[in-house]
Amino acid sequence: MTRNRTALLFLLPALLVLVAVVAWPFAYNIGLSFTNLGLYTIKDGASFVGLRQYARIFREPELWNYLLRTVVWTAVNVFFHVTIGVTLALLLNKPYRGRGIYRALLILPWALPQYIAALSWRGMFNYRYGAVNLLLGKLGVPAVPWFGNEVAAFLAPTITNIWLGFPFMMVVALGGLQSIPQELYEAAELDGAGRWWRLRTITLPLLRPVLLPAVILGTIWTFNNLNVIWLVTNQGEPGDKTHILVTYVYKAAFNYYRYGYAAAFSVLIFFILMGLTWVSYRRSQRPTWA
Amino acid sequence: MTRPGGFPQRNPAALLAAAAVAGLVLCAVACAPRPDAATRLSLWEQMDPAQQAVLARQLTEFERLHPGVTVETNHFETDKLRTQFQTAGLAGAGPDLVYGPSDQVGPFSIMGLILPLEGLVDPDTLKLFVEAARPGLSGHVYALADQVGNHLTLVYNKALVHEPATDTDLWLRQAKELTRDLDGDGRIDRYGIVMNLTEPFWLVPWLGGFGGWVMDEQGRPTLDTPAQTQALEFMRSIAQSGVIPPNCDYPLMDTLFKQGAAAYAVNGPWSWQSYRDAGIDVGLAVLPRISQSGLYPTPMTAALGYSMSVHVPPARRALVLELLTFLTSARKVAEVSRSLGALPSRIDVAAWPDIAGNAMLHTSWEQLRRGRPMPIVPEMRVIWDVMRTAYQQVLGGAMSPQQAPAWMQAQAVRKIEELRL
Repeated sequence: MTRNRTALLFLLPALLVLVAVVAWPFAYNIGLSFTNLGLYTIKDGASFVGLRQYARIFREPELWNYLLRTVVWTAVNVFFHVTIGVTLALLLNKPYRGRGIYRALLILPWALPQYIAALSWRGMFNYRYGAVNLLLGKLGVPAVPWFGNEVAAFLAPTITNIWLGFPFMMVVALGGLQSIPQELYEAAELDGAGRWWRLRTITLPLLRPVLLPAVILGTIWTFNNLNVIWLVTNQGEPGDKTHILVTYVYKAAFNYYRYGYAAAFSVLIFFILMGLTWVSYRRSQRPTWA
Repeated sequence: MTRPGGFPQRNPAALLAAAAVAGLVLCAVACAPRPDAATRLSLWEQMDPAQQAVLARQLTEFERLHPGVTVETNHFETDKLRTQFQTAGLAGAGPDLVYGPSDQVGPFSIMGLILPLEGLVDPDTLKLFVEAARPGLSGHVYALADQVGNHLTLVYNKALVHEPATDTDLWLRQAKELTRDLDGDGRIDRYGIVMNLTEPFWLVPWLGGFGGWVMDEQGRPTLDTPAQTQALEFMRSIAQSGVIPPNCDYPLMDTLFKQGAAAYAVNGPWSWQSYRDAGIDVGLAVLPRISQSGLYPTPMTAALGYSMSVHVPPARRALVLELLTFLTSARKVAEVSRSLGALPSRIDVAAWPDIAGNAMLHTSWEQLRRGRPMPIVPEMRVIWDVMRTAYQQVLGGAMSPQQAPAWMQAQAVRKIEELRL
């Protein structure tokens, strides 16, 4: 008992920090979501309005568009992060000259600050002088007005975020690949298994336990990724047609000063993500050799 | 000595005490007031590099005149400055002075983040500023400007345009003649006009030029008018005429004009010096009269100035006030005006011979007289947002100029209501 008490006492500072930086802001945010805190109430104090802010969220005409766009944004990004990441990891897992250099180069997007990368990509999507259109021009493809319509404008941050996100999956997958015993491949080869068969029955199932937590993390990060969309599309342009949930909430809070409403929206996003995480966690509990 | 899998055999109470002492020392170091806190001033700004250089010179002089005093500056983009100041201010922190456009005064004062200045600054000094340079709400003055105007004018490259257009028909004819594929590769190398087609700030002058405006005297949106349709049709026709690059945004406009690849630009005083620095022989003219309506465009006018945070501790307030009055003194306002080509905020400075006789400033005054002040109420943010959406949608072909005004008005009314809920 004394030993446990000592251990708990040692944990106390960390616990206090967690309460201060996680639990308290979270509780404060929930409290805020039941108030009408906004531009005109901030000076004299907000009042309790019950669930009114939550009701407003569901009356928001664009809500389902934002939600659908967020789901598409998350799914497309995570799909390409995993696909590109695993493919590159498979290539980098083989011994050949200059492997270290390729590995370092491929990790670069991850090392670059997201803010700088997003603004650089915005410049690269410039209609006339952007590198993307200049490259397309060299290939004989007409210049794309990247921020002229909502589809192209949504594609631009998606490309940016795919570029920014695949190195993480690549590093995780590479770690996973290096932990797979070589003997399994040798045995399979002796049994006459081809390359595709070995990938399907050995590599991918053994990568699953490593990749699943990374995919869950990637999903949460992408779902909540404010910087890339906000900066690349210049706050949801054209005409607020590229918002995902978090950029919309950010705008409600910091452009329109609707703090209570934004807090309620944040709580909703939290529950969506909690649900997603729970489902993913349950799926990850299945046996890997199934 | 350590038990397998356990903790070192030491007195846990002593360890905890040591940790507590370490924590207290750290806290003391972090939390103790710095000895120079009263003489270390802070200023947040959103200036462009040319103005930052002027400010740096002015602050060096202030520090020289006040030995021991230091002024730290932090630069933000305009929007970032607003959100950062707001967030810091609500947490009881932030800078002593904040510099920015007069429209940020509205939300800052409503939130109680900035101090009214009329009780702090000598009334005779306040009277030296033109009215637009003392933005305020509810009878209070919340900022003192070092420049007024901040309005769009017609900028032209004298190497390409010999006589600037006085009406829009002539302007578009000239622009068509000046738009050229110079090397025969099938791509336009020089455009007649460059203008920001993504920000409604560039739509507003034409809205006014067709007889419309964004708000009435009571602050209610007035976006659903025939003038709005005409302004949008006019902008769409220019955008589709080929004299302006497709999807022209601010960086593209700026780059093309600096490269000499555009004859006319519609831009504000903040840009003129950078064009001269780029080697362009810049000319300035008032925006051309709209041939259809016979009226002149009415760019929005504003002021750029300093506000004082409510969180300035009383011990530092006199010094902060001294910095504020120094930066808005006649000499400093004149320096800003001469260096940047901005209109002075002070009546006395405007009469100085070199300023009154400056041809560019004279044209800028002319344009200012034709402009209309930007409302500084927070609802303007909603107006900008809905206008931006519609402007981009109309120019992108997703909405017609006939549909846009009603849509804008409905959105603005709804969002302003939400702002007040």
